[in-house]
Amino acid sequence: MLLFLIRRTGVMIVTALCLTFVVFYLTNLPAKLETLAKTQAGTRISDAEVVTWLDRNGYGQPMLVRYGEWLGVMPGWTREVSDEVMDGRCYRAYDLREPGSAPTRCGLFQGYWGESTRFRATVAEVIPTRLGATGLLMMWALIVMVPMALVVGVAAGMREGSRTDRSLSTFAIASTATPEYVSGVVFIALLASSTAGLSPLLAQWGWIDGPVLFQGNARSALEKITFWNFTLPVLTIALYGMGYIARITRASMTEVMTQQYIRTARLKGVSFANIVLRHALRNALIAPFTVIMLQIPWLLTGVVIVEVLFSYPGFGWTLFEAAVNNDIELLLAASVVAVIVVLLTQLISDIGYVYLNPRIRVT
Amino acid sequence: MSDKKRKATELHSAARLYARECEEGKLSRREFLTRATALGVAAPAAYGLLGLTAPAARADTPQMGGTLRIQMDVRAQRDPRTWDWSELANACRGWLEYLVQYNRDGTITPVLLEDWEANEDATEYTLMVRQGVTWNNGDALTAEHIRHNFERWCDASVEGNSMASRLGALMEDGQLRDDAVEVVDDHTVRLHLSSPDVTIIANLADYPAAVVHPEFSGDPIRDPIGTGPYRPVSYETGIRAVVERNPDHTWWNEGNGAWIDRVEFIDLGTDPAAWVASAEGGEIDMLYETTGDFIDIFTAIGMVETEAVTSATLAVRFNQDSEPYDNRNVRRALQMAVNNAEVLELGYNDRGIAGENHHVCPIHPEYAELPPIEMDREAAVAMLEAEGHGDTEFELISSDETFHADTCDNIAAQIRAAGISIRRTILPGATFWNDWLTYPFSATSWAMRPLGVQVLNLAYRSGEAWNESAFSNAEFDELLAEANGIADADERRVVMERLQLIMQEEGLVILPYWRSLYRHARPNVHNAEMHPTFEVHFQNYWMS
Amino acid sequence: MDTLGWLDILGRIAVQLLPVWVALVAVFAISITFKRRLGLYGKLFDSNVGMVGFALVMFWVFAAVFADWIITHDPLAQISGMRNATPGSPLRDPDGRYEYFLLGGDALARDVFSRMVMGAREVLRIAPFAAMISFMIGITLGLPAGYIGGRFDTGLTFVANLVLAFPVILLFFLLVAPEIQETAIPRVMAGVLFIVPVIFFTVLLNARFFTQPAKRNLYVGGVLLVGLWAYSGLAFNADPLGVWGMSPNLLNVFVAVVFVNSPTVFRIVRGITLDIKTRDYVAAAQTRGEGPWYIMLWEILPNARGPLIVDFCLRIGYTTILLGTLGFFGLGVAPESPDWGSTINQGRRLLTIYPHAALAPALALMSLVLGLNLLADGLREESLKD
Repeated sequence: MLLFLIRRTGVMIVTALCLTFVVFYLTNLPAKLETLAKTQAGTRISDAEVVTWLDRNGYGQPMLVRYGEWLGVMPGWTREVSDEVMDGRCYRAYDLREPGSAPTRCGLFQGYWGESTRFRATVAEVIPTRLGATGLLMMWALIVMVPMALVVGVAAGMREGSRTDRSLSTFAIASTATPEYVSGVVFIALLASSTAGLSPLLAQWGWIDGPVLFQGNARSALEKITFWNFTLPVLTIALYGMGYIARITRASMTEVMTQQYIRTARLKGVSFANIVLRHALRNALIAPFTVIMLQIPWLLTGVVIVEVLFSYPGFGWTLFEAAVNNDIELLLAASVVAVIVVLLTQLISDIGYVYLNPRIRVT
Repeated sequence: MSDKKRKATELHSAARLYARECEEGKLSRREFLTRATALGVAAPAAYGLLGLTAPAARADTPQMGGTLRIQMDVRAQRDPRTWDWSELANACRGWLEYLVQYNRDGTITPVLLEDWEANEDATEYTLMVRQGVTWNNGDALTAEHIRHNFERWCDASVEGNSMASRLGALMEDGQLRDDAVEVVDDHTVRLHLSSPDVTIIANLADYPAAVVHPEFSGDPIRDPIGTGPYRPVSYETGIRAVVERNPDHTWWNEGNGAWIDRVEFIDLGTDPAAWVASAEGGEIDMLYETTGDFIDIFTAIGMVETEAVTSATLAVRFNQDSEPYDNRNVRRALQMAVNNAEVLELGYNDRGIAGENHHVCPIHPEYAELPPIEMDREAAVAMLEAEGHGDTEFELISSDETFHADTCDNIAAQIRAAGISIRRTILPGATFWNDWLTYPFSATSWAMRPLGVQVLNLAYRSGEAWNESAFSNAEFDELLAEANGIADADERRVVMERLQLIMQEEGLVILPYWRSLYRHARPNVHNAEMHPTFEVHFQNYWMS
Repeated sequence: MDTLGWLDILGRIAVQLLPVWVALVAVFAISITFKRRLGLYGKLFDSNVGMVGFALVMFWVFAAVFADWIITHDPLAQISGMRNATPGSPLRDPDGRYEYFLLGGDALARDVFSRMVMGAREVLRIAPFAAMISFMIGITLGLPAGYIGGRFDTGLTFVANLVLAFPVILLFFLLVAPEIQETAIPRVMAGVLFIVPVIFFTVLLNARFFTQPAKRNLYVGGVLLVGLWAYSGLAFNADPLGVWGMSPNLLNVFVAVVFVNSPTVFRIVRGITLDIKTRDYVAAAQTRGEGPWYIMLWEILPNARGPLIVDFCLRIGYTTILLGTLGFFGLGVAPESPDWGSTINQGRRLLTIYPHAALAPALALMSLVLGLNLLADGLREESLKD
C-alpha cells in the first residue's frame, strides 16, 4: 500500500512538471508576452516600449532559464536600478531593494509560487482563497447532485423497462444534453429576472419581498452564502453532472438486480423494499462511487462556466481570468492544483473501489 | 468652486470671440464653455458671456451618508501617468485630485488650481495653485509639488506614460524642458510653451493627470497620499475596490461634497447580462456605463438613464501601407458600399449621430458642414472591378468588444450585400492591441476629445506614433499645422473644411457614427449623470 | 402585413422543412422494411428509444444537407428594421425576399431561423469529423498499447493521463488563441494528428491483404493517394488542387478538440483490448500465425465495435457541447458564424427580453445531443441483446 502511494506521488510530480512546462511554453510565446506587456504597461504602447518593459521585468531571458527560475533551480534575474537599489525576481518576491539582500534563487523549491500579474498579489495569497470559494460551491453541488442522482438511478434501475425507468432515464439523458451555458441562463431568466419568468408573478401575488425570487448573480455569496444567492449556480452545476451519475447508477442497479442472490432473496420472500435497500444497494453503489470521484475534475469545466456566468470569484473564475490575461505564474499554479485534484481523485477512487469491493486488492 | 471674481473686460480675447460665435450659432454652447474655460475663464463668467447664469449645481440639499455600490472594472493599479483606462482613475479619484476638471456641461473648472490664465497667443500659461490645500499626510500643497508633477508627466522614458504625448510643448529630448515650468512663488507656476497650444488645460483635466505627492512611489493603493476626502480601504483587482471617507484628513473643499460615507466598485466582469442580474438582485446602485440593448433593459428594471453626447467614435480605417488599401479607389469603393445611418441603426442601436467618413465631429467648434456623402453599391462594385479587385476577398478585423464587433459585422454585411466578398476576423480585446497600428482594415475606438484638431494631430499626421492609417499627405500636414496655430474657430473652419474634404477624398476611414454614452443609477442616487469622458466624480454624488 | 401567429409560424416552418420530412420518411420506410438484413443498424428499429434518437439525429443531418433549400434568408444578411424582431415579424420592405422572419431577428437583424438551420451545417461539419479523427487516433494507439503492453503501453498511458489531467478549459485557452495561430504549433499538431487516419487505413488494408500483393497495392495505393492529398490540404493548406482546406481558425479549433478527445478514446480502446485479448479466438489467430496488426485490426477491433459505436455517438454530442463552450468563452469561432454555440452565447445576454434569439439554437443543440444520447442508448441495448 505504501509503495503504491509512493508510486502514485511520483507519477503526480512528473505529470505536474510536464504540464507546467507545457503551460509555461505556451504562455511565453513572443506574441503572448507582447499581450502581457500591453495589458501591464498600457494598451497603446509602442513596440519599442514593449521590448524595454519585457527586459526590465525579467522576460528577456531564454525560456528555459525562466522556467528554471520559476522552479527555483536557476538564479532569479536581477537588474541594477541605481547603486543603492536593486530590482529582480527575488527582490520583488520579498519586497527588498538593497543590493545583495535577497536570496539568489526563489521559486517553487524555495516555496515561492510567484506573483500574479492580473491580481497584483502573490500566487500564494490568491489560490487558497479562491480554492476555498470553489470548495464551497463544489460541496453544495455534490450535496445536491449525488443524492439526487443516486435516487433517480436506483429508482430507474429497480425495475428495468418500467414506466418509471423510461421517464427517469429520459430525464437523466436530457439533463446531460443541457450544457451549463444553456441551463444557467434559462434559470436566470426564469427565476431571477424581474421582467420575465416566475418572479414578476410571485411579486404580483405578494409572495416575495424583492423584485426577484433568486439572485442571478453570486458575487454576494463571497461574503455570505445564502439560499437565495447560491441556489442557481449550485443547481446549474448539479443538473449537468447529475444525469451521468444517474445513468451509471441505473446500469449498475439493473445488473445487480439480475444477480442470483437477489433472485434467491426474492424467492425467500424478502420484501422488495428490503431487497433494494439491504441487498442491492451496496453492490450497486460501487460503480457510481468511482464515477463520482472521477466526475470531480470533470466538473471543473462546468465550474469555470458557472463561476464566470454568475461572477463568483472561485478557482474556475481565477483560471479564466488568468488565461484571458496571460497571467503566467498564476496559470502555472492553477495547473499544478488541477493536476493534484485530478490525480488525487483518481487515487481516492481506486482506494475506495478496493474498500467497497473486497474482491479487489491494491498491488 | 466659483470664488473667482473676474470682470468680463479681463477675459481672454479669444473667449469673447467664442461667445460671439456661440451667439451666432456657429459654436454649440457646450463647446463654447469648453473652449472659454480652457483659456482661463471661470465657468460662471463663461455663462455670463452668453448672458446666462450658471446652473445651480444642486437643486436639493444633499444628504450625508450612505454606501454607493458601482459596477465598474477594477483593473490592476499602476502609476497614474501610465493609466490607459478611466476606470483606473475613478477608483483613485477620492484621494488623487486634478489641477482642473472637465465637467458634464463642457466647462473646465479649477480643482487644485484657484485660477489660471493664458497669454494672447497661448504660449504662456500662469497657474495659480489653490491656497490651503493639504495632503492627507499633513504637508501643504505648494507650487514646487506642481512642478514635480510636470516633471513626472514629461518623462517619456516611462513605458506607457501617455501624459508625455499630451505635453509635447513643454518637453525636450523626452524630458521636461528645463525652462518650461517656472515656479514663480509658493503658489504660482508659469508654463512656457515652445509652440502655441490651446489644448493644454484640457489635457490637464484628462484622467492620467492626477496630482501626486513628491514621495509617491508609483502605487496609488499602497501609497495613498493625496489631497482628496477619501481613502482606499481595499483593492482586489477583478473583484472590488472599496473607498471610505477619510476621518483623519480635512479636505480643502469640506462641506461642498464628500457626502457619501463609502463607495464600493464592484467588478462583475465584461458580460452586461451579469450586471443586470446583479442590479435585479439589488446588489449594485449604479453602472459605470451601459451599452446597446442593455440601456433599455436597465431602464425597464427601474434605473434612471442619463446620456452624454460625445465625439467618441469607432474609426474603421484602412492602412495605406497594405495591399490593396494602398489604392485610393479601393478605399473609396468600400466606403461607398456602406450606409452610415444603417450602421448606426443596426450596429449601435441608433444611439448617436451618423458620421461623414472624416474624423471631425459636428460638436467640435471648428466643424465645417460638407455636402452629404453618397452611398452607391453599384458604383462601388464598378469601381472595384475597374481596379481589378472585383473578386478580391477583403478582411475586416475588430476586437471582440460588443459594439466593435456589431458595427463591423454590419459594415461587412452591407459590403457583402453590394456583392463584394468580405470576411470578418474578431480578436480578443487583449490580443487585438498587439498589432492595432498595422492591420490592413480594422476598427479602432477613439475617445472624445474637445477639439477637432486634437485627433487629427494624433492619428492622421504623417509619421505620428498612432497614425494607424499610415496616411501621409504633405498638403494635409501643412494645413493641419496651420489650423493648430489659429485660435479663432471661425478662421480655423476654413482650413478645416479643406482638411475634412481631403479625408473624404482620400478614403481614409469609414467613420460610421459619433457615439452617445449612457449610464444608469438607482433613483436615490443624485448628481451621478453620465460624464462624456467616463469620469465618476463620486465626491459630488449623494444618496437619499 | 401583420405579425404571424404561432400556428402560422409552425406551419410555415414545417413547409420550409419539407425536404427533411421527405428524406426522413424515405429513410425510415426503407430501413424498417429491410431491418432484418441490416445488422445492428436494422436492430435499432426494434427499439423505440433508438428510433426516436435516430430520427432526431437524422432530422438535423438532413437539415444540414438541405440547408440551402430550407433557409428563408441569407444567414449573414442584416435587414434594416428587424433588430430583435419577434417571431413571425414581417419585413419592412421585402423586395423579393421571404416576407417574414419566422423565428424573429437577432440583435444584428439577422434571421434566427435561417441561422439555426445553417448552424446545423456548421456543427455537423466539425463535431462528427473531429470525433472520427479522435477515434482513429485512439484506436491506432490504444490497440497496440493494450495488445503489446510493456514500455510502449506505459509511455502512451502516461501521455494520455497527462492530457487528461489538464482542465479542458485551460487547454482551450492555451491552444485556441490567436497568438498560437501565428506559430507553427497548430500546423505541427495537425500534421501529427491527421496523419494517423492515413496510417490507420494503410495498416488496416495491408494487414488484411498483404498475402495478395496485387489487391493490396491497389487498395493501399488508393488510400495513400486520397489520404495524403486530403492530408496535405487539411494539415498544411497545401492542396495542389485546392479541394481540401481549412481556415487557420477552424484548424485550430479542430486540432484542440481532437487533442482533448483522443486520450479518452485511447483509454477505452486499451481497456477493451486488454479484455478481448484473453479470448479464445485471439489465441486461435495467434496459433494460426497471424501478425499482430491483423489480430488487432481484424480480430479484436470488430469485436470491440459495440461499445465503440455507442461511445462514438456520445462523443459527437459531447463535442457539440464542447464547441458551444468555446463559443461561450469567445474562443476560436469564426465571426458571424451561425454555429449554435456562439449564437447561444450572443443571444443569452438578452434572454429576458428577446428569448427567441438564444432559445432557438439552444433547443436545436439540446435536441441534437439528446438524439445522439438516445441513439447511443438504443444501440447499447440492442447490441447487448446478442
